[in-house]
Amino acid sequence: MAAPSLYIHLPFCKKKCNYCDFVSYAGKEELIDEYVETLIQEIKLQLPTLDAPLSTIFFGGGTPTLLEPKHYEKILTTLSWKPATMSSRLPEIEITIEANPGTADLNKLKELRSLGINRLSIGIQSFHDHHLQTLGRIHSSSQALHFYEDARAVGFENISLDLIFALPDQSFEEWKKDLQQAIALNPEHLSAYSLQIEEGTPFWEMTNDKLKMKNEGKALNLPTEEVALAMYEYTIEALWLTGYKHYEISNFAKAGKECRHNLHYWQMGNWLGVGAGAHSHVDGKLWANVDSIEEYLIRKPATVSSRFPDEARRNELLFMGLRLLDGLPTEKFHGFEKEVAELIADGLLKEENGNYKLTKQGLYLGNLVFEKFV
Amino acid sequence: MLKKIRNFSIIAHIDHGKSTLADRLLEFTGTIAKRDMKAQILDSMDLERERGITIKAQAIRMNYKGYIINLIDTPGHVDFSYEVSRSLAACEGALLLIDASQGIEAQTLANANLATQAKLKIIPVINKIDLPAAEPEKIKEEIENIFAISRDEVILASAKEGIGISEILDAVIERVPPPEGDPDAPLQALIFDSHYDSFRGVIAYVRIVNGRIKAGQKIKMMGAGGEFEIQEVGTLKLGLMPQEELTAGEVGYVVANIKNVKECRVGDTITNLVKPAAHMLPGYVQIKPMVFCGFYPLAGEDYENLKDAVGKLQLNDGALFFEPETSAALGYGLRCGFLGLLHLEIIQERLEREFNLNIIATAPNVVYKVNLFNKEARYVDNPSMMPPVGEISSVEEPYLKLTIFTPSDYVGSVMDLSIDKRATFINMEYLDQKRVMLTFEMPLSEIISEYHDQLKSVTRGYASMDYELIGYKESDLVKLDILLNGEPVDALSIIVHREKAYYKGKKLVEKLKEVIPRHQFQIPIQASIGAKVIARENISAMGKNVLAKCYGGDITRKRKLLEKQKEGKKRMKRVGRVDLPQEAFLAVLRIGT
Repeated sequence: MAAPSLYIHLPFCKKKCNYCDFVSYAGKEELIDEYVETLIQEIKLQLPTLDAPLSTIFFGGGTPTLLEPKHYEKILTTLSWKPATMSSRLPEIEITIEANPGTADLNKLKELRSLGINRLSIGIQSFHDHHLQTLGRIHSSSQALHFYEDARAVGFENISLDLIFALPDQSFEEWKKDLQQAIALNPEHLSAYSLQIEEGTPFWEMTNDKLKMKNEGKALNLPTEEVALAMYEYTIEALWLTGYKHYEISNFAKAGKECRHNLHYWQMGNWLGVGAGAHSHVDGKLWANVDSIEEYLIRKPATVSSRFPDEARRNELLFMGLRLLDGLPTEKFHGFEKEVAELIADGLLKEENGNYKLTKQGLYLGNLVFEKFV
Repeated sequence: MLKKIRNFSIIAHIDHGKSTLADRLLEFTGTIAKRDMKAQILDSMDLERERGITIKAQAIRMNYKGYIINLIDTPGHVDFSYEVSRSLAACEGALLLIDASQGIEAQTLANANLATQAKLKIIPVINKIDLPAAEPEKIKEEIENIFAISRDEVILASAKEGIGISEILDAVIERVPPPEGDPDAPLQALIFDSHYDSFRGVIAYVRIVNGRIKAGQKIKMMGAGGEFEIQEVGTLKLGLMPQEELTAGEVGYVVANIKNVKECRVGDTITNLVKPAAHMLPGYVQIKPMVFCGFYPLAGEDYENLKDAVGKLQLNDGALFFEPETSAALGYGLRCGFLGLLHLEIIQERLEREFNLNIIATAPNVVYKVNLFNKEARYVDNPSMMPPVGEISSVEEPYLKLTIFTPSDYVGSVMDLSIDKRATFINMEYLDQKRVMLTFEMPLSEIISEYHDQLKSVTRGYASMDYELIGYKESDLVKLDILLNGEPVDALSIIVHREKAYYKGKKLVEKLKEVIPRHQFQIPIQASIGAKVIARENISAMGKNVLAKCYGGDITRKRKLLEKQKEGKKRMKRVGRVDLPQEAFLAVLRIGT
């Protein structure tokens, strides 16, 4: 098993985006100091249970860049506190922070970089201001461009951009421009997500309560499945032509720049998640912490998590692993021979180099494949 | 003895207050104490109460002023008109109950005609006279015009308020003649209803016409032929009250270790095996199902459970018919026959509610008579069993005489609707200045679609209808097949009139396109007559269906999402490579029939 990863969840936002169903809260910034203290306690308690040095660290959110450099200093110092776990190897570790262009300036970026954070994942989402508005983002397109320049200026050499397509009222041409603009910036890594309407979000209400929304003039006009597919096909093509490797359904990277932390998830490696709402997967066990910040703060670090019932974890390995374009070794599919045969007959799965992997059609219709393994 | 007995029933339209009146009569005669009263005691099945109709008839015995008065209840829906006629045959009189604001309805007329044919004394009662909209004088005029009964005979009542109850009971005693019959003649007992009890077997509800019946007696069913030994006889109060014997003129029950209601058919005559009667009582008909459809379990492994469940319902329902059938598309299922669409719906609902079965019902159809060139005539109750077009010389379908009562304002709409349903106009008669009676001849198959609902809708609920079967007539009928992915789906085939085939085929493929979800591949939907495709649509292939995002914290939620998607498919029926939702079969019912 590869060295374990650490995920640190920072569930604070200035404002919730209309499509976001992650554990994050707006207007609770006054809890940040206390939250970081609790995080440190949890890390101190949990980290020694991992028996190998960390290979990656990921600060996710929420909006991690809403926190101050001093918070990161504390956390990273804590992580160096037990030299055997990591310390001297810190520069070799992939340390990613998710960044919102509306929440950090040149100085903040500089300090974060100097603390040893070496990978930046910027939530661009779109280069069109009217789409950013629909999504409920707090930054403009030009802010995002400046932010990218600043990040390069302070020495971030591994940058990923997040983009979303199939947005309400988005034309194919608009998406083409977004993608070309991103490619022009020459990032090391790109995530291009097809917009998903998640339950419990404002977008969900707007699509599932159509009559009401129509009356209020808020109904979402989403592109058809055909247009969404064309956008996805174009993305794959355009990024391949410009030297990005398509390695996961929505992820593309220059050679050697795949996100090592995320690869860990798809390969169902060991990872420890700390913070409210964080999930962990260690030695075949999957568990999650409480979602509420307040409850997370009140409870002792040892009691914040709850295990999920121990079902066959192998199934998760299959539907997670098949997200990777390289697929999974055929022997992992033992017991699913019938399903595999059907999927191959339907042209959704293929065998290559001892692995089962998605075909091109399987990539577009991945859920038809995944559902066979849950 | 005979002189002190009165047997009567109540004829009424749905909602005109029959059950409430029955309750009041039971209360007034002290048959049931008020505290034991459940609202509307006669409708004992939950479904009956919900739908406001009586599915199974029952009887109850009251004592009043030294008389024995038997109230024999009748089913309140046209599907069950044979049962109504047998219940009436067990009586000498009938209350004709009419809502003071609604007036006479088509079905009331039909049942009153049955009562007149059976030579029953009719006592007209106008109910709900307490309502502000009551127009008793107008209703009296209707009664005079339609039934030729003097307005002086009419009793005004409000069952809800307890008005007119003693007058009704007195009228039953004074006007309804006592039963005739000879207690010493050979036994003739008319079965007017029966029900299956899992402990005692079939309990037959009977009217003794001649002779006497008691425990230990050997009996024979003169129509169905079975022989049994009587275990118990008795009269009917709220439950069964065992008696030494029942004699001519009385109404009661018989228990004789009968295993199945099929051996104890409504209308049959019970006689003494040792000293049989010379003739059975008139009017016995072995009722035949009129409407057929296929029932298929959603999960193939439920087939045996479905068969058991229908078998259990049949124990108590002599009119329900079933036999196993196999569909190329749906697998193993049952071909079931019913008296009408309501009967079908009730059985389907009971299978789902009481037996917890998920079933697909194919579109209902009537029984067609197919005349072949080789002079053979074949009765076809399943569209997929239709002989090849080249062998058919003609097709006949059952027709009925349809009577509609409607306010005259709606005559045009009723005409348009009925003609559209292939009806032939026969007659129009004014009941009074504002109401008319329309008579049509119409194919039965048009009634089993949504004619009744549509009639209600074009007349804002004011029209009522009744019908009787008049036999088979030749029609230009064709079999319309539906092909999915180029393969015919037998369970979606329907028989339609040629003139409507194009329209229905087009509507049907459009609707199927709407209800069948997208698949990985494109699905052509075609409607065809023989080899000729008359309509087609395509369900385009699924474009994109993949979770864009799935990281460490998403696993459990996304897994649930995938599980839900998988569950949804389990609720569909796989036909070839296509998953068909229930709505597809419903669409055929709605548009096709």
